[in-house]
Amino acid sequence: MREFISARSMLLASAVAASSLGVFGFATITLGAAIVGETRRVDLGQAAPAGLEALKAQYRRPATIPFPKENPYTPEKAALGKKLYFDTRLSVTSAQSCASCHSPGFGWGDGLAVGVGHGMNKLGRHSPTVVNAAWGAIFMWDGRLANLEEQALGPIQAAGEMNMPLDQLMQRIATIPEYKPLFDAAFPGEAMSPKTLAKAIATYERTIVSERAPFDAWIEGNESAISAEAKRGFAVFNGKAQCAACHEGWNFTNDGFQDIGLPSKDIGRGEYLPDVIKMKHAFKTPGLREIARRSPYMHDGSLATLEQVVDHYDHGGVDRPSRSDLMKPLGLTAQEKADLVTFMKTLSSSLSPTAVPVLPR
Amino acid sequence: MRKLIPVTIAIVAGLSAGALAAANQQIHQKGRVFSSENVTIKKGEAITFVNDDSVPHNIVSTSKGNEFNLGSQAPGMSTDVSFKEPGDVQVLCAIHPRMKMTVKVTD
Repeated sequence: MREFISARSMLLASAVAASSLGVFGFATITLGAAIVGETRRVDLGQAAPAGLEALKAQYRRPATIPFPKENPYTPEKAALGKKLYFDTRLSVTSAQSCASCHSPGFGWGDGLAVGVGHGMNKLGRHSPTVVNAAWGAIFMWDGRLANLEEQALGPIQAAGEMNMPLDQLMQRIATIPEYKPLFDAAFPGEAMSPKTLAKAIATYERTIVSERAPFDAWIEGNESAISAEAKRGFAVFNGKAQCAACHEGWNFTNDGFQDIGLPSKDIGRGEYLPDVIKMKHAFKTPGLREIARRSPYMHDGSLATLEQVVDHYDHGGVDRPSRSDLMKPLGLTAQEKADLVTFMKTLSSSLSPTAVPVLPR
Repeated sequence: MRKLIPVTIAIVAGLSAGALAAANQQIHQKGRVFSSENVTIKKGEAITFVNDDSVPHNIVSTSKGNEFNLGSQAPGMSTDVSFKEPGDVQVLCAIHPRMKMTVKVTD
């Protein structure tokens, strides 16, 4: 008698049941949304751990700097970009340039916990380094800007930073006669504009690359380039401490966004993806090249030393729903912690000093 | 009726190899990369997102009509997603900005 339960109603029952099973994700079917169905455990098999040589190969420096096809490298663009980067007249007060907060003297940051802007007011976050920006996938601590060309115009216009509206900026540039031939050489046939200004700055920034560090010499086969402690630290970095899960590759970042449990009210990327719980308090993973020169650390500059950074990870941070699943107490020994710091110090190159350019008048 | 109930329970129980799902297109994430950047499926069909990587991923889409959020997907887990609206669905990993792919949903 009950046989007339139709195939259709059985499918509906299973679809409803499957979606309410979605304990690992969205459980509800809402109008106008995809249906999250069954979740299963899969057998990934036992992956053989990578040998040391295979692991080291993942850290080899690239041979060339990537420039986008929309803004290829020319020496004229880079030279113009360098002058603009160091030119305080791009700010409304004529007192702040890109280099004020992203200074070659401080690992291309400013050595402060948080930046300082217009009127000497403290900003909300630590000034990120420009080193190796050419390899970045996305920009700003909260990932709100896609590329260096967009980023260059951000602080220029921001009221709290250089506070310079773009039309005023171009008017001021026009009053400096020596800029015109530089723009003409860099962008033949194009008028001076915020777009070409940003392209020039971005091109210069892409030339700012961490130089060969002792770590690189070791990767290339020189066993005496770094100490035994540093080699142990590299092993802990890739193993027990799981640092390489986020700080991966030769630049020590995959630009991923994670909440690492810092006790700060700033919700970071959560502002742009409010429905994704793991994005609350999530910030972009910085690279670790020249890291010993880039203190203090974190999006708010709240940790002064690399030792404090290692301790933070060892303790696991604030346990909250947004915290990355990778964050947990690590149980590192004192030796392992010291070795991690020793290893990170091998990532500093002897950065050639940067000559401040003579600026156009 | 007695034959239908056990089949329904097998679909719902869900922690098995899922023979019915074997036909789904699969997207893997090993190495923080989607195994395919472009996939075409029919409306109502499902894609299986497999985390065969060593780190958690968080697959989302904000494409209108096909929004979803898988939350933190641990290594070793897979989840099916089916799409109701035809069109292009931009899928990304909220954690890893280089992970982007498009699912083209046809009628």
